[in-house]
Amino acid sequence: MDDIRPGPMVVACIRITDLRPQIEPLSGTVVREPWSTGLSPPDAAALEYSFRIAEAWSGHVVVITAAPPSADAVLRDARALGATVLRIAVGSPSSDQAYMDDLGSDERAMAGMIVAALAPFGRPSLVVCGDRSSDRGTGALPAFLAHELGAAQALGLVAITTTDQESMVVAERRLDGGWRERLHVPCPAVCSVEGAGVRLRRASLTATLAAQRTEIPQVTAAGGPGTTRGTHPGGPAEVVVGPGRPFRPRTRVVPAPDGDDPRLRLLALTGALVAHDPPTVVGPIDAAGAADALLAFLIRHGYLDTEPVGEEAATEGTR
Amino acid sequence: MGKADVVPTPGVSSDTPAFDAVVVGAGPAGSATALALARAGRSVVLVERGPFPGSKNVYGGVVYGRVLDEVVPGWWNEVPVERWVVRRSTMMMTGTQSLAVDYRSAAWGEAPYNGMTTVRSRFDNWLATKAVEAGAQLVTSTVATGLLRDGHGRIVGVRTDRDQGELRANVVVACDGVNSLLAKEAGLMAPAEASHHTLGVKEVLDLPGHVIDERFGLRRDEGVDIEMLGCTRGIPGGGFLYTNSDTVSLGVVLSLPHLAEAKVRPEELIADLKNHPSVAPYLRGATLREYAAHLIPEGGYDTMPTMVTDGMLVAGDAAAMTLAAGLWLEGVNFAIGSGLAAGRAVDRAIAAGDCSAKGLASYRSDLEGQFVLADHKRFRKAPALVLSERIQQRYPGLICDLVDGMFTVTNPVPKPGGVRLTRSVAAKHGVKLRQLAADTVRALRVFG
Ligand SMILES: Cc1cc2nc3c(=O)[nH]c(=O)nc-3n(C[C@H](O)[C@H](O)[C@H](O)COP(=O)(O)OP(=O)(O)OC[C@H]3O[C@@H](n4cnc5c(N)ncnc54)[C@H](O)[C@@H]3O)c2cc1C
Repeated sequence: MDDIRPGPMVVACIRITDLRPQIEPLSGTVVREPWSTGLSPPDAAALEYSFRIAEAWSGHVVVITAAPPSADAVLRDARALGATVLRIAVGSPSSDQAYMDDLGSDERAMAGMIVAALAPFGRPSLVVCGDRSSDRGTGALPAFLAHELGAAQALGLVAITTTDQESMVVAERRLDGGWRERLHVPCPAVCSVEGAGVRLRRASLTATLAAQRTEIPQVTAAGGPGTTRGTHPGGPAEVVVGPGRPFRPRTRVVPAPDGDDPRLRLLALTGALVAHDPPTVVGPIDAAGAADALLAFLIRHGYLDTEPVGEEAATEGTR
Repeated sequence: MGKADVVPTPGVSSDTPAFDAVVVGAGPAGSATALALARAGRSVVLVERGPFPGSKNVYGGVVYGRVLDEVVPGWWNEVPVERWVVRRSTMMMTGTQSLAVDYRSAAWGEAPYNGMTTVRSRFDNWLATKAVEAGAQLVTSTVATGLLRDGHGRIVGVRTDRDQGELRANVVVACDGVNSLLAKEAGLMAPAEASHHTLGVKEVLDLPGHVIDERFGLRRDEGVDIEMLGCTRGIPGGGFLYTNSDTVSLGVVLSLPHLAEAKVRPEELIADLKNHPSVAPYLRGATLREYAAHLIPEGGYDTMPTMVTDGMLVAGDAAAMTLAAGLWLEGVNFAIGSGLAAGRAVDRAIAAGDCSAKGLASYRSDLEGQFVLADHKRFRKAPALVLSERIQQRYPGLICDLVDGMFTVTNPVPKPGGVRLTRSVAAKHGVKLRQLAADTVRALRVFG
């Protein structure tokens, strides 16, 4: 097991699974591949918020997941970012069927196991989860975790920020009609976040290479609902809505770059020429959209000097 | 770009990890290089920009595995195969006609097999895993953004898009695929020339396995490979159809300048092909799973870059090694072959303590001595012939009409004689018999 470190503990409780499972069209069977295992956007956001909050509190991050060994690559990345990592072993090396069949189908039992596995690290100040996993997606686990830990809960958040007290975080939650409200969430708490607004930091190459050479600690699933239930005299403290009324976020103003040369301003705005084409996700899009993206790429790189034809020419030409 | 930038890299720190080799790109070329080096006991790091090997890779669908015999004995027992190709069909087409030469071999359906359809995300990952098991370090989601040079301008590693992202090594092996930015930066490759590239576009279509079996006359894990000519509205190129377990890959390969000139969208050509009377019945009820496109370096032997420089060599598509010689579209086996040779050459150079261009020169001679450059040299004139106007625009129709004339029963008009028929069909397609004879001789020279 990784070192038990001093300072407040922020736990990122994440689901690591195949992000591109194949579905057999006739039987509906889901086929998962170990190598395309990764973090869904909400889980990636949960991890990033955990780091931000732990930094603000001078604390440390523990990343926990229940998954087969195919999750280790993602856990190594988290370790390269400085987290303590732990995997509750489920399933065979190449499949997480056991998770789906047993653990994942009973989120309450899962919450009990996670809390049991975390017990040796001490009591978490904050647990951050994604608001839904890409495969099961009920979003119920954080609530069960809060129950097991006897902690406050605020779910489906857009953002979490720290306050000057370590016993409180401020969260933002969406309301109908584009409105949002602020919540004051007392710690210990369990929060779940949307997969938007933040981007997971990347580890340095040196740390990535070093983390690759390490083993990921794993524990076997133990415990169950109620076995490790946190005791909090009088129950968890209450989440407070406000202060302030619901608000609509303002449009973000991006300051115009300096200079008279439009080309240079455009370069400054887009970051072009700063690096070669970074990995870009353009999908999911339809075949015509994909062809457009490709033709635009070819034009950009000088393979084609003509504009694409058809209806799209008008929009393409403006790029 | 394309000119060697020999300015030393400012601030190349000495404490970045040092490896015997850095291999950029975990496609077949990169994984084969890393495998050969790791097996030779060299420290090697394999850098891949995608989240996992194969995640960004596109190809038609058939891998010829003979090249793996030497590295993974009995590979067919473990490789992630979709189907073993037992039928290979070459089809000449017009909009409404087709003539297929269909070859079937029972031997291709048994070990040691000939070709297999396989999915790149699985195959590339399998090969990369072999390299990792042998001791290579794989770093994914990491882009090599440029070369590191020492005070003498010699390449000493790569820069990546991560913090502290410099990787210093004795040798950099660029396996970053077609249009290699590293090969260009090293000055090994001239700026990309559109006429040396084709654009491959393909759809993967869902079709239940048993339906594929019935429609294509296959059993269990047997597969078919159909190569097509004359299905691209006169744009030089061709089409392909490969069967996977429960999907079919269908695509076209198109000359880039001609595609641009024709002002046709590639997906329209795939739609044409799907509606062709000889293809549509195979695909009835199939649904689209995936659409992908990628460049292919089709220029062949005469367009390959310089393959080595001090501290660096180039393998696979980065060195334009796809063999696109009309009847053949083979790139993965050439990438693996060149990767293994690159690994061996780097190992020898490190052992000899000379990683200069001279020390790495055995790479090219190794490639000349085996199929990689021997085949390319033999078929060096093939790309020009195969993409030529008559082969592309006239002969498919001419051949189909010739066969049509032979087999259409025109009673009470008597059957035409062979010579008269050939003459009239050739005239209809604007081909002189002299040109036909000259092209036959040229084809014999190119492929003979
Ligand atoms: C439509 C189409 C059909 C084809 N059909 C066939 C076929 O049926 N059979 C066959 O044998 N061949 C076929 N080919 C050719 C075959 O795909 C290639 O020859 C083969 O993939 C070359 O392998 P490679 O390792 O050299 O390059 P690639 O497979 O292109 O791999 C390059 C790798 O480098 C990575 N990379 C690139 N730049 C960087 C960077 N800066 N930093 C980090 N990583 C980087 C990429 O992500 C990629 O993983 C086809 C190609 C196309 C496009």
